Amino acid sequence: MTHQELIVKLKAIVSPYVQDEAAFANLNEDTDFVKDLKINSANLVDIILDIEDEFDIRLENEDMEKMLDVKSAMEIVNTKLNS
Amino acid sequence: MVGNDIVDIAQAKKESNWQRPRFLDKLFTEKEQQIIHSSENSFLIVWRLWSMKEAAYKLYTQCHPSRFYNPKKFECIIDGNSGIVKFQNFKCYVVTKTTSDYIVSESSLKLSKLKSKVVKLDSECLTNQSEFLKRKLITSASKRFYGSEVQFNIKKNNHGVPAMEFNNRKVNISLTHHGNYGAYAIA
Repeated sequence: MTHQELIVKLKAIVSPYVQDEAAFANLNEDTDFVKDLKINSANLVDIILDIEDEFDIRLENEDMEKMLDVKSAMEIVNTKLNS
Repeated sequence: MVGNDIVDIAQAKKESNWQRPRFLDKLFTEKEQQIIHSSENSFLIVWRLWSMKEAAYKLYTQCHPSRFYNPKKFECIIDGNSGIVKFQNFKCYVVTKTTSDYIVSESSLKLSKLKSKVVKLDSECLTNQSEFLKRKLITSASKRFYGSEVQFNIKKNNHGVPAMEFNNRKVNISLTHHGNYGAYAIA
């Protein structure tokens, strides 16, 4: 999957949980789920479960620990897909 | 030092589904899942445990500046309205208050009474809510520390941990909002 395809998929996944639409419109690798998109921390787990479903992967606790921004989410998904 | 977390019960029902597959397993230990399943009101226990973990995480990051997402490793033990949360070598006390509208938890290093003041938030806009809550906190702080409101400043460090500055003093605080409710605590 290309970088661009991955960002598009992630954007669709986080969309229902976003509380700052302006930050969402400018979503890029540096976008932080909580600080920028103002996503409720209780919904971070939904994003993790949605990622698991979308890419048919399973994320461990250690993977979840870093899942606070788009860049880390992309890295983790890529690592899982290539392993 | 103090950490707090509030859950708006109506909001939690609306925006989260704790019964979705793998949800509980991602956030809660085996023991916590047993407590959830054996409870008559699993929904309330889920969100009580969640608020305990969040309150404990906020206290932990005050003690150890950092930022991460690992709720499952914050292990809760419940005893009446209070409880203990452990994370690695860190341990704190958490008191919880549950009403029909919200669940609020507050963590501290020593067993203490709930200091958090709960505020009803009417504005739907998140920025307004958080500004409103900060104003309430500053009004309360100005009375407690006998200063005028302009002397108080709330700042977040690069890990997102807030603190209040006043006359070259730094006071630990905690702010939380969810749905139509917010709460602030001054250490």
